Amino acid sequence: MEIVTQKDTNISAAPPKKSSSQWAIARKKFLKNKLALTSLIFLLFVAIISFLAPYITTADITRINIGEMSLEPSSKHWLGTDKAGRDVFTRLLYGGRISLLIGMSCTLFVIFLGTLIGSVAGYFGGTVDSLLMRFTDFILNFPFLVFVIVLNAILFGKVNGLWVLIGVISLLSWGGIARIVRSKILAEKENEYIIAAISIGCSPAKIIVKHLLPNVLSTIIVQATITFASMIVIESALSFLGFGVPQEIPSWGNMLDSAIEPDVLQFKLWIWMPPAILITITILSINFIGEGLKDAFNPKSRR
Amino acid sequence: MLKYAFRRILGMIPMLFLISIVVFTLAKLMPGDSFSGEIDPTKTNPQYIAEMREKLGYNDPLPQQYFRWIGNFVEGDFGKSARYKIKVSDVISEKLPNTLLLGFSSLLITYILAFFMGLYSGRKPYTVADNLIGGLNYLGLSIPSFIAGVFAIFLFSFTLGWFPSNGSIDIGMTEGTLEYWLSRLHHVFLPAVVLGLLSTASYTQFLRNDIIENSRKDFVRTARAKGTAEKKIYNVHILRNSIIPLITFLGFDLVAIISGAIITETIFTYPGLGQLFLQSVGTRDYPVLMTLTMLFSFLTLIGNLVADILYGVVDPRIRLD
Repeated sequence: MEIVTQKDTNISAAPPKKSSSQWAIARKKFLKNKLALTSLIFLLFVAIISFLAPYITTADITRINIGEMSLEPSSKHWLGTDKAGRDVFTRLLYGGRISLLIGMSCTLFVIFLGTLIGSVAGYFGGTVDSLLMRFTDFILNFPFLVFVIVLNAILFGKVNGLWVLIGVISLLSWGGIARIVRSKILAEKENEYIIAAISIGCSPAKIIVKHLLPNVLSTIIVQATITFASMIVIESALSFLGFGVPQEIPSWGNMLDSAIEPDVLQFKLWIWMPPAILITITILSINFIGEGLKDAFNPKSRR
Repeated sequence: MLKYAFRRILGMIPMLFLISIVVFTLAKLMPGDSFSGEIDPTKTNPQYIAEMREKLGYNDPLPQQYFRWIGNFVEGDFGKSARYKIKVSDVISEKLPNTLLLGFSSLLITYILAFFMGLYSGRKPYTVADNLIGGLNYLGLSIPSFIAGVFAIFLFSFTLGWFPSNGSIDIGMTEGTLEYWLSRLHHVFLPAVVLGLLSTASYTQFLRNDIIENSRKDFVRTARAKGTAEKKIYNVHILRNSIIPLITFLGFDLVAIISGAIITETIFTYPGLGQLFLQSVGTRDYPVLMTLTMLFSFLTLIGNLVADILYGVVDPRIRLD
């Protein structure tokens, strides 16, 4: 959904003497966008401390500690302990590792599948296009959450849990990207340079990878940011419902599922508040980065 | 237009057929079958189980089982729930009104909130109030619905005590009285707001941007030049143009409500179809699970169809063929 306010589209600045590349312009615009830059720094910070979790905290995340159940935040446990006596801060870091890892892997797979199918359909057109697009429609017409839950219930326990989750989510969510990439490729392939590339005998694979994709890359990058945010939401929602990451592995969604108990929700804020706030801020900052990138790549926006 | 709609509806049939195959295959792949959910294997004679399996047709070839299932399904016989021991259609029709109420009130709240917020923001853009609404919308778009639900229960149910945190009705209400309906509305309000949060944010933002865009157009300048009151320009001239595109969101709302209901109903322990669906996965109640999955898929198809058709209705430049 478009939430950027419509800015005036007239370009007021005088044309630069030596024109910079599209990427240099975008980078300059992005670095000037304070909100996006702050978000990026925040996201990197969360990612780094999550991935360095084993070096930052020494508390054991798996051991259930009956002596230290539901302790309030103190100097020993910065954010208190949960109902099984595990340190919330430590779990938050390890949970971030899992949540961000799943978010990133899903995004990679979704972008890969969507770009592959979208570009092949868009470039070849005709029967290939209509077959692939009917298939995309088919995938898009599935109620996503319903099928993810059913598929997880089937595959659960048979294969390593995390990869099942990543696979199932990715396989069901590439449809939107494929449509967008296809429409971009359709417009792009009408240009003369593509006809020239065909006439000198470039192979279709080479044309797609070397000539077409670089020109739709900015769209793909923006889509990837949005996908990353929604993948984190999906992972945490599924884990919250009990159909995502296996219980014994901490993830932000898993940490929240005790909030369904009224006692925890009402009186033990330190158990559910930290992951809830962290997920929200992370999603917000990813969205801000996405808006910033969209703005940076948009030649009409002046900033 | 009609021809297009008709063709699209016809096109849904093969889609539904494919989805039904997928649903059937998935249900067969799930561990156990509905019979093993119905009996206690430790107390029942294994020979009896084998006989019953044979009698219920679980040993028939898969295509035969599929056609029997889909045949019954089309005729409206969805089977018997393994958990509740009554017909699936009865189980579903018991929970359906709750979900319908939730969906409708969510849409209504979305429309009302988005209408007033969008109208205000569009009329007075770049003011403090507009920025505040914009910020709220950004939060609404970013906060996952289950976190919004948890916060809403914490704040409005536990801390402030304004709304109940679970169920769909107070205990001991007689059906049909005014109090009964008020109690139901009281229970549905909070989940409905949470369910509509995402759409409210996108509707508001869309309406705002559209009003701002329209207010720069020539017909507005003409109206101003004629001396039309500012109020009338916004409430009549611009609003008419800006409100129409919003109906295209209706189809997507339908799709969003389905998946939203699963999450929202679980958080608020609201007895509707979403909760029933999760329960049926947990208890391996296959007849209910398969019927609900088919129902949700059907509604998603309808939602996408409605969205596509409404696009054509609103913008005749979009060629529908």
